[in-house]
Amino acid sequence: MDDDERLATLFAAAASEAGAPPTAFGHGDVLAASRRITVRRRTAFITSGLAVFALLGIGSAVLPGYTQQPDATSAAAPAVAPEAASGSDQADAPAGPGSGGSELSEGLRSAPTDVAPPGSGTGVCADRQDRALRALLEQVIPEVSGARPGAVTDICLPGGQRYVTLEVDDTGVAGLLVVSYLPPGTVADAVAGELTAPTASGGTVIVSSRPAQPGGPVPFEARLDTVAAYLAARL
Amino acid sequence: MDEAAEREFEEYFRARRDAVRRTAFLLCGDWHRADDHAQAAFVALHRHWRRIRDRAALDAWVRRTLVRAVVDESRRPWRRERSVAEPADVAVVASGSDAVATRHVLVDALRSVPPRQRAVLVLRFLEGLDVAGTAVALGCTEGTVKSQTSHGLTALRSVLGDALDDLRPTA
Repeated sequence: MDDDERLATLFAAAASEAGAPPTAFGHGDVLAASRRITVRRRTAFITSGLAVFALLGIGSAVLPGYTQQPDATSAAAPAVAPEAASGSDQADAPAGPGSGGSELSEGLRSAPTDVAPPGSGTGVCADRQDRALRALLEQVIPEVSGARPGAVTDICLPGGQRYVTLEVDDTGVAGLLVVSYLPPGTVADAVAGELTAPTASGGTVIVSSRPAQPGGPVPFEARLDTVAAYLAARL
Repeated sequence: MDEAAEREFEEYFRARRDAVRRTAFLLCGDWHRADDHAQAAFVALHRHWRRIRDRAALDAWVRRTLVRAVVDESRRPWRRERSVAEPADVAVVASGSDAVATRHVLVDALRSVPPRQRAVLVLRFLEGLDVAGTAVALGCTEGTVKSQTSHGLTALRSVLGDALDDLRPTA
């Protein structure tokens, strides 16, 4: 008997069941345990699926605005945004969640001819790119029809305010055109370079245009008075 | 599982239960834990029964599951096995002829062997696997099996000393 055989005999003897307690489980125990695990896993799978479904439902119900604004973040800020931010408090006025670039473009294509009446907003926060205000702006300056939306912030404006900012190109003169509407009772701080006009509803419209480069030519500079007057009569 | 598969599983279970239990005992050194590990291995087998197409590989599948479970358990904090500088004294039965006494001595000695080396020794000398079969069961290389066997036997001899030669079971 060589060493391996002797060890094998020794291990077999050590593993003999002489004096060992009787086996504690049978075929039925194995089946029961297996079925318990299967049921438990199925339950966990269904529960987690329902939880995800419920969370998605709650999320879409509570945050409807956030589900439709893939581009509406400051991360997508265009090149002219810094100038706009540094030049105008109103232009870079904080805005709440609302429609973003993609929604705006979609809204532009299907923009209603009837402009929604000014006044209190329907939501807690104002639309950061107000489609109705943009439609009015395009009526007075048709050249901005295809303009890209400018950068906005995630700060919430009161719902009664309206705001639109566009990256415009006035026959080679690039810049940022910003229009804000403040409902009655809202005091607007005067900022150099901005045109402010009282509106028909008692609110205030603020129009400004900023060059793409500091010190550069201002797009639509000569038409800002017309824009302010046109909007004031309709807001 | 359908009825035929259930019957097939039951036949396999009845044929292999005791052998799997014995292997589990030498791997962990305790009959109650051996029952738990063996049952867990059969439960896992039952759950995977339809997916194991090669019925000739059932033994290898159960063996691998069992060894992995025992080695994994030995690493858990509440059951973690510690290496000791000096191996524990093992009460060697003088006669060495009684199976129960042999078991006590060898199982005590095996407790001093690290889990992976112990698994190699059990697979090779209890299950009768060769180096290649042991490597497959443990998911390691044949070289590792050889070195683990060598280290394991050295550890076993360091505990049992000459008593290893005296443990010649009559049964």
